[in-house]
Amino acid sequence: MGSTDAVAAVQVANLPSEMFSIIKTSGTIGPRLGCLRLAGRQVLETPHFLAITSRGVVPHITQDSFAGATGISGVPPDGSSPLRRFIALPEPTLLVLGARRTPPVFAPSANPNTNTSVSICTSVGFRPMKAADYAEGVERLQPDIVVGLGDIPYGRALGAKRIEKATDRNIEWLQSHVKARNDAKAPKGSRSKLFASLPPVSCANQQYYIDTLTQDVAKDVDGLAVYDMVSLEDLPEQLRHLPKLAFTEPSTPHEILRQISLGIDVLTIPFLTAATDAGIALDFTFPANSSEQEAQPKILGVDMWLEDHATSLQPLVDGCKCYACTNHHRAYVQHLLNAKEMLAWVLLQIHNHHTLDLFFAGIRQTLRNGSFEDNVERFAKVYETLLPEKTGQGPRVRGYQYKSEGPGEPKKNAAPFQTFDDKKEKLAESTPPSAEAGAAELEELGFAEKQT
Amino acid sequence: MFMPVATQASLKGLTPKQLEDTSCRLCLNNTYHLGLKPGQKTLDAIGGAHRLQSWPHNILTDSGGFQMVSLLKLSRVTEDGVRFLSPHDGSPMLLTPEHSISLQNSIGSDIIMQLDDVIATTSPDHERIKEAMYRSVRWLDRCIAAHEKPESQNLFCIIQGGLDLELRKECCAEMVARDTHGIAIGGLSGGEAKDAFCKVVGTCTQLLPERKPRYVMGVGYPEDILVCVALGADMFDCVWPTRTARFGNAVTVDGVFNLRHANYAYDFRPVEEGCKCTCCRPQEEGGLGITRAYIHHVAAKETAGAHLLSMHNVHYLLELMRKAREAIVEERYPAFLKEYFLKLYAGDKEKYPQWAVDALKGVGIDLLSV
Repeated sequence: MGSTDAVAAVQVANLPSEMFSIIKTSGTIGPRLGCLRLAGRQVLETPHFLAITSRGVVPHITQDSFAGATGISGVPPDGSSPLRRFIALPEPTLLVLGARRTPPVFAPSANPNTNTSVSICTSVGFRPMKAADYAEGVERLQPDIVVGLGDIPYGRALGAKRIEKATDRNIEWLQSHVKARNDAKAPKGSRSKLFASLPPVSCANQQYYIDTLTQDVAKDVDGLAVYDMVSLEDLPEQLRHLPKLAFTEPSTPHEILRQISLGIDVLTIPFLTAATDAGIALDFTFPANSSEQEAQPKILGVDMWLEDHATSLQPLVDGCKCYACTNHHRAYVQHLLNAKEMLAWVLLQIHNHHTLDLFFAGIRQTLRNGSFEDNVERFAKVYETLLPEKTGQGPRVRGYQYKSEGPGEPKKNAAPFQTFDDKKEKLAESTPPSAEAGAAELEELGFAEKQT
Repeated sequence: MFMPVATQASLKGLTPKQLEDTSCRLCLNNTYHLGLKPGQKTLDAIGGAHRLQSWPHNILTDSGGFQMVSLLKLSRVTEDGVRFLSPHDGSPMLLTPEHSISLQNSIGSDIIMQLDDVIATTSPDHERIKEAMYRSVRWLDRCIAAHEKPESQNLFCIIQGGLDLELRKECCAEMVARDTHGIAIGGLSGGEAKDAFCKVVGTCTQLLPERKPRYVMGVGYPEDILVCVALGADMFDCVWPTRTARFGNAVTVDGVFNLRHANYAYDFRPVEEGCKCTCCRPQEEGGLGITRAYIHHVAAKETAGAHLLSMHNVHYLLELMRKAREAIVEERYPAFLKEYFLKLYAGDKEKYPQWAVDALKGVGIDLLSV
């Protein structure tokens, strides 16, 4: 399956019966309270976020911790989705499948995508994946939501020609995928919902593709996957009712709030795992939880690497009810980070997901009672604009976490320990001995020891 | 009983809750590692290792002597203690029996070990082995004198003496006379031949008092453990199940399999069929129903892959010991052993290791008979 990125999410509520319904909205472009309802899954109230997985797991969190620490109890599986069973995802959890990671690893070649395939990062390097294979594969795996394959050029400026080409490909790929789905004649209720990818340019710039979405396949597309907020600026009326899933890589909670206020329903938040890897316990609430204006803006997260925590028996964040905060303390996490024990990142990951869970619950609450805008303003005043700088080291990086820059690059992970081997050092420093050097000379240079 | 090793106060990525789920009630911490990080001052401030790692069950700590030998090239043992260079700044340091006990008092572990003079059993220097044995006895006296919490922490002595059975016998007599709570057989599993290893264990167990726990240090392969049980040993520890898990190896009744091998990419059976651990148990029974193919997919690529296999491997060893205890209580341990070896070697008695056959014959169990 290569680097297929599955994304999963959590949460509760119960309301209308359509797949996506908007409960409350303020005007055409603006924040909205909605509800995503899929057969067999917990109802997902929006705005919400999806936990990003890699190889079917939320990084660092085993499946039993996921179910236990996030408060979902196991439900007997109905065996509907082979993928769900394979990755041991709890039944109530929403499962979304897309082609690339969020954020993706940039492909090394200049034009990684072709008319029939995209380049994806696999465990054996970049490989082309055919659009037709993708469409067939995802239908067989039956996640709850499939993100249609899009020609999304990452990491480079887009010229007019490239956009035109992307538009053509997207139309072709989406239409074939929809046709394949319709030909398969699966009962409508039981199959995955299809979300169409929207390339990261304004709608005016990809008019033909937008026309396809609003006309030819209007009935077959259940939602939109958004890669840049610019596409929402001139989104036509006919597409507004669709749920919008963002792969926009917000870098701060402020940015999340801005994207929600522009009408995003479900987000993916790469800074969550980035904070975990950096050893930072996120610490912010929405609405901002402070009685009066403080002199200093509050920090968005606590750096657990700091020595100050070494003897602190406080939870990571005071009053937090997550597994990590109720069972462990700062001193332990600081020790684990310091000793580079994997459990550090497990505990931080649990805590950080819990923090975001509450953050989004707060957002929905204020949307419901109409105080969202005011609280966004207050949030900006109370908190610092950026997450704390990373001071310590993260876990050992793996293949997909960095871009290879070609031959001769330095090692990505420092050797975990060195031996006290003075001979070796001596050897490295010395000049090679001449061919006729005697035993004593060799010994002096550290090449060998004279046997007695 | 098998004790998994949580070297630096965490069992390689598992939460204490997950460790509890494998049915573990006693795990190991390493004094040497905890002494360096987080350090004695921090341990005192926090109130010990149980509070540090929120582990409500038992902890055993080693004395730190073994790490001096296994990790540090430039350590030197003198009568005072072990001299070594700090791995942090390279400054010379000294670990004495008094330091070791004081550290273990701060850690607050339920079972503590004396500092012993560990040398490789394969060492050719017989004088040195002899010296180490006598020194270990002298250090035990210093450890007993330095122990501040004998009412809450149980001190175990460690039998030394290399592969020399006479030295071992002498050491047993000296150590037993000092009446510690339990007795460990140390200095083994350092690359010596298996039959020599079994002889040492067998010799020692015969001389040790009936009613005290006997702990063979650093032994972890299932066959070794089961043979040692037959020889009369009670407790074992090893990092092997968790370490091998990180390399993608699954420990099962049919042997050890490396799930990173391409053979397993499409193998949708559980890691071990019929296993009741959280990882293998089917989803219908509240487990995860993880397949070999999935482990193949994540092993060495996601930390969670190592966590899942660690859960399985630790559970496997604890379950193996549970079955062994059951068999002993029901007085059918020889039959249990035969069954185990038959399954492990898929019925091929030719492949049985000779050392195991010989060692078991010595205690009246004929592995090769039906």
